[in-house]
Amino acid sequence: MKRLVLAVLAVAAGLVPVYWLLTISFKTEADQFAIPPKWFAFAPTLVHYKAVFASGSLESALWNSLIAASGSTLLALAAGVPAAYALNNLKWPAGWADSIGFWILSNRLLPPIVTIVPLFLMLRDMRLLNSIWSLTVVYTAFHLPFVVWMMRGFLAEVPREIDEAARLDGASPMRILWSILLPLVGPGLTATAVFSMIAAWNEFLYALILTQTGAASTLPVGIAARVTQYEIKWGVMSAAGVLAMLPVLVFAAVTQRYLVRGLSLGAVKG
Amino acid sequence: MKRFQIPRGVWWVAPAVGILALMSLYPLFFLVFTGFHSISGEWTIRNFTRMASDRMLGEAFLHTAVFTVAALVLELVCGLLLAILIDSLRRGRAVLRTALLLPMLLPPVVAAVIWRLIYNPQFGLLNGTIRALGFNPSHLTWTSGEGGALASVILVDVWEWTPFVFLLISAALQGLPQESLEAARVDGASRWRIFFDIELPLLRPVLALAAMLRGMDLIRIFDQVFILTQGGPGFATETISLYIYRTAFRFFDFGYASAMSLLLLVIATMLARGLVRQLRPIAAREAA
Amino acid sequence: MPCSNPRRRGVGRRWHIKPFSLIAAASLMIAGGGCTKQGPKLTVAINAGVEGEALRSAALEWGDKSGTQVEVVELPYANLFEKLLLDLTSNTGAYDVIMMDDPWFPKLAENGKLAELPAPDSDFIQSTVDVCRYPYKTGKYYAIPYVGNSQLFFYRKDLFERDHLEPPKTWDEVLIDASKLGFRTVLNAELTERFGYVMRAAPGNAAVTDFMPLFWAYGADMFDAQGNPTVNSPAGVAALEMMLRLGQYSPPGYAGFNADEVAAHLLQSTAAMSINWPAWISAMDDPQKSKVVNQIDFAQMPGERRPGQAELGAWLLGAPSGSRNVSGAKAFIHWATGRQPMKEAAVHGNPPTRRQVFLDPDLMERFRSYPAQLKSLESARPRPRTPQWNEIENAFGIAISKANAGSMTAQAAMAQAQADIAAIVSRAGK
Repeated sequence: MKRLVLAVLAVAAGLVPVYWLLTISFKTEADQFAIPPKWFAFAPTLVHYKAVFASGSLESALWNSLIAASGSTLLALAAGVPAAYALNNLKWPAGWADSIGFWILSNRLLPPIVTIVPLFLMLRDMRLLNSIWSLTVVYTAFHLPFVVWMMRGFLAEVPREIDEAARLDGASPMRILWSILLPLVGPGLTATAVFSMIAAWNEFLYALILTQTGAASTLPVGIAARVTQYEIKWGVMSAAGVLAMLPVLVFAAVTQRYLVRGLSLGAVKG
Repeated sequence: MKRFQIPRGVWWVAPAVGILALMSLYPLFFLVFTGFHSISGEWTIRNFTRMASDRMLGEAFLHTAVFTVAALVLELVCGLLLAILIDSLRRGRAVLRTALLLPMLLPPVVAAVIWRLIYNPQFGLLNGTIRALGFNPSHLTWTSGEGGALASVILVDVWEWTPFVFLLISAALQGLPQESLEAARVDGASRWRIFFDIELPLLRPVLALAAMLRGMDLIRIFDQVFILTQGGPGFATETISLYIYRTAFRFFDFGYASAMSLLLLVIATMLARGLVRQLRPIAAREAA
Repeated sequence: MPCSNPRRRGVGRRWHIKPFSLIAAASLMIAGGGCTKQGPKLTVAINAGVEGEALRSAALEWGDKSGTQVEVVELPYANLFEKLLLDLTSNTGAYDVIMMDDPWFPKLAENGKLAELPAPDSDFIQSTVDVCRYPYKTGKYYAIPYVGNSQLFFYRKDLFERDHLEPPKTWDEVLIDASKLGFRTVLNAELTERFGYVMRAAPGNAAVTDFMPLFWAYGADMFDAQGNPTVNSPAGVAALEMMLRLGQYSPPGYAGFNADEVAAHLLQSTAAMSINWPAWISAMDDPQKSKVVNQIDFAQMPGERRPGQAELGAWLLGAPSGSRNVSGAKAFIHWATGRQPMKEAAVHGNPPTRRQVFLDPDLMERFRSYPAQLKSLESARPRPRTPQWNEIENAFGIAISKANAGSMTAQAAMAQAQADIAAIVSRAGK
């Protein structure tokens, strides 16, 4: 019981900033800066939320974020899972698997700042700037190292015997992956997908530089625009932040069960 | 002599490698090319020699190193403690876990802004609460004061990403072989003994994985610092990514920015190699 | 789906490698969808904030009047310069009309990136028009001024009257007034305090912008006639030392403040004086945001060894030469800076750049600060006109911020700024 209280307190303390975000989005400006801080006693207002909806760009930003996040996650899984399987289960000349694996991982080491200008120039020449689809492909490249390494870990947990038995039965590697292994690492796959979606949904720098108009702009860029030259529109920004958080929250709550189960290294033991 | 056969796996990794190559090989060429060119277009190594005498670059690296190590250690420790605590509960685990996810779900931009408000020395929640409790916080300037600024930024990152580490470790705890733990308990070993001698060694792979994933992101930290402090006050929270961004985009000096990026890449690669070596023996052992 | 640019490729770097273009372009273009042209289109990039909102209304009105399809894109201020510079240099043609803060103008107008515009008429205030020319004051016009921002000295006239003080005319007087007006009491465990002065010293634009009037008032200049930096002259050091003395009467942590913290202090009645921009005036008198409605008054910038000069911060409208609709852009800019549209923008809270608009009786009645603003704008001084301004401001800002944070003496900070700025200038000279 003592431990439950401690746990609840720890979690509650960690959630204070989120609670504060929520209250700021419902407070008038005078209340936002009140000394001493008003935790509960304030008159709520919907004016900030109305402003967010009235700005007109919310819909397209939401839609673009959705396309970029889900599209890139799907593509990354489609390309990354077979790669992970190949590196883990198929035969390679000595050391190849590790080298390729490390090269894939090393792409995550490239700081975004570093690749953004050449990417910008490359996309400009291909006349693919300001397109939500190019942004999706860029995000796919972000997710791939993560997907390959996470899935490699999960697939490594599956006992070799299963793979070998299926192969003795004459099944092709494709079949083995699709019908036998994937169901076994289903939760791990879900966890990886969730993390990738969250990362893409919240990404800021590339969306800022590679998009130029509302046709491709995503939510984080719109939120950052609330920081103006003179003031930070705390109310509107908080409201937009809360709205941006909701879809991800729903998604995470629904898949929460799989998240933990999926991340269990060693959960799948014969 | 055996005829060289293309390993079957090549076709399987081709899409992933293809996309990655598209996004990274060209930028790498670009970096090397611009790094060795001056603004007027001639070949030069001046961008690289300039790094040696650039005081600000050294400071930025120092800040990044401090930030990375401190944030990483704190995230690992807090994540571990939280995982053990919540894992030992009988009820309420699911609710607590979902609640803990929230900081991670917020767009970093929003998290940084809300913390900026919380840290405000006069109107923010932190100092306001301290004042309400009867203490005088006027020397606590958080992100506005040089001394505490880096620590304040570290705190924000720890707040935001401990949930990630917590999830990884929590999952690993669930997968620990119960038999050895039971055996130890039956033998009469104390809770701490069990933890240090049995559980911790078994958690090593997941700790290394968390360290690697978080470490790589921490070295490249940009969003939060940009919004929270823009690298200030003074130069106190300027990280290497911020410095490169400024050089590339505000000063439009791509040559120098490329040179610095290459240096950062080399350092990060060396560190990653070290960490990956930690992971490999374990994975190989478990796959056997 | 955005219409793909059917026009020319822009000025690319000649050693650019394009082997991936064909493969990737084919596949992605199929996904990218087709393109339909629907008549003239105008894309206006606005700065997120007060100035941008006025231009947004103007753009939408123009769209209706001229039958042009108008798209307004809002960009965050913190990244606006980078986005504009990147867009102009790579000739993407994404924007047809852009808003520029005047210190950015020299860099953005370099190398013909902006289209030349017809000279503005004589109703415009001289200081705002001079900065639209490249080279400064003598060259052709590449922008038209839209927002006439110059700093004002905000002070609490109620407190001054109560204590029988005169509004300060020199920085020495500001210091004395600040020492008299600050106080701190603790009553029933509730702390009430007011600071005599508040300023911002976050590194970069914040610190430099607030420091320049002080710097100039002490007789210092950033560059001499040959373009050599002279920041660590005795006058410059004296100005920074005065800033540090004022800092003692400012809220702790001001070395990390930006404009919003400064305004918050004024609005919450926890500071008595400050340098600030006209954009904040409407907030000061708004009961929803302010505790000091009608209690703030505006004086001219204090002087010291030289008469006080406010810093100019005008927003300019320009058309990138890579735009797809240069004639449409020019027509829009000409209309939007006309007298009537500018009056409407003024009602939105944008200080105008036309004298007749400032003197308009309706507006004078609405905005009690207009006479002070007009006077300030006419004598306003712009920041040094150099394409390296961003880099110089960055180095200067770090030094000022460090001195204010207490980690460097004024002498050492100015010496460091001098060295850094000299390095920047010599690098650019090559």
